[in-house]
Amino acid sequence: MSETSRDRPGLWRGPLLAWFVLLLLAGVNLGSAYIPFGAGNVTLNLVVAAIMAIVLATFLMDLKSANMLVRVVAVTGVFWMIFMFSLTFSDYLSR
Amino acid sequence: MSDLSRALQAPWPDLRLQREAVGLGMWFFLASEVLFFAALFCSYAVYRSFNEEAFRIAASHTKIVYGSINTALLLTSSLTMTVALRAAAAQLKRMTLFCLGATAALGAAFLVTKGLEYRADIEEHLIPGPNFPLKPAATAMFWGLYWIMTGIHAIHLTAGIGVVIVVLTLFWRETIPVQGSTMEGVAIYWHFVDTVWIFLFPLIYLAGRS
Repeated sequence: MSETSRDRPGLWRGPLLAWFVLLLLAGVNLGSAYIPFGAGNVTLNLVVAAIMAIVLATFLMDLKSANMLVRVVAVTGVFWMIFMFSLTFSDYLSR
Repeated sequence: MSDLSRALQAPWPDLRLQREAVGLGMWFFLASEVLFFAALFCSYAVYRSFNEEAFRIAASHTKIVYGSINTALLLTSSLTMTVALRAAAAQLKRMTLFCLGATAALGAAFLVTKGLEYRADIEEHLIPGPNFPLKPAATAMFWGLYWIMTGIHAIHLTAGIGVVIVVLTLFWRETIPVQGSTMEGVAIYWHFVDTVWIFLFPLIYLAGRS
């Protein structure tokens, strides 16, 4: 297949949009860190980071178009991570 | 032998299924990687929950300029990696090679920036031990986690750059065709390393800024 200039914009359009959103969210995280929200700072930072991870996984790691089996496996790590955090903190916070 | 028949491996009937299988295998591997990094993040969360003020003081000594530049570099490398994947599926070999080269270069730029940052940290003796300058003592916990978490992330990125360079060379020499399933695994791994950084950035660099 020959590489025509017509092929290229289509390749870049979707990823460029996701990249722009990711940079924007990183900027939001950076900027908001300097505004004193108390304990709200870390919460906001982690929520924005989680949104960034979802954008990246959905649009750049192609989970949007992946089949159900791949999606299930992709969230497996997060699922067990929730158990790790829950069980660890149920110990430390109840001492 | 045509490119398609070279790209297609047994037992897959078509390239779409073969790519899906490679992606699925990589996601399985990444699930174990998530738990590996989760143990470190969990340690960070436990220590921080008991030493809130010490972590705030310690984190304010991280180099936010280097951290922010590296965030932009990694996010941009994920862009070029995605385009490389799309270009490979469309059999655009030159575009694939260009984007893989750009991805490896951005990853290398990240490591160079990280090296400069590490040098600045070492000059300030921000290594837990006898000459550690910060107080209270729990600030050393943050800096211990800083070296371990960013160090392990950098090792993952170095492995990623190595794989990208090997794959680029194999494509360049036409040892394997670009439209095969190789790019699928490489791209998902690269994005995972980026995702880890997305969480490291606020926890390491943004804590204690307000």
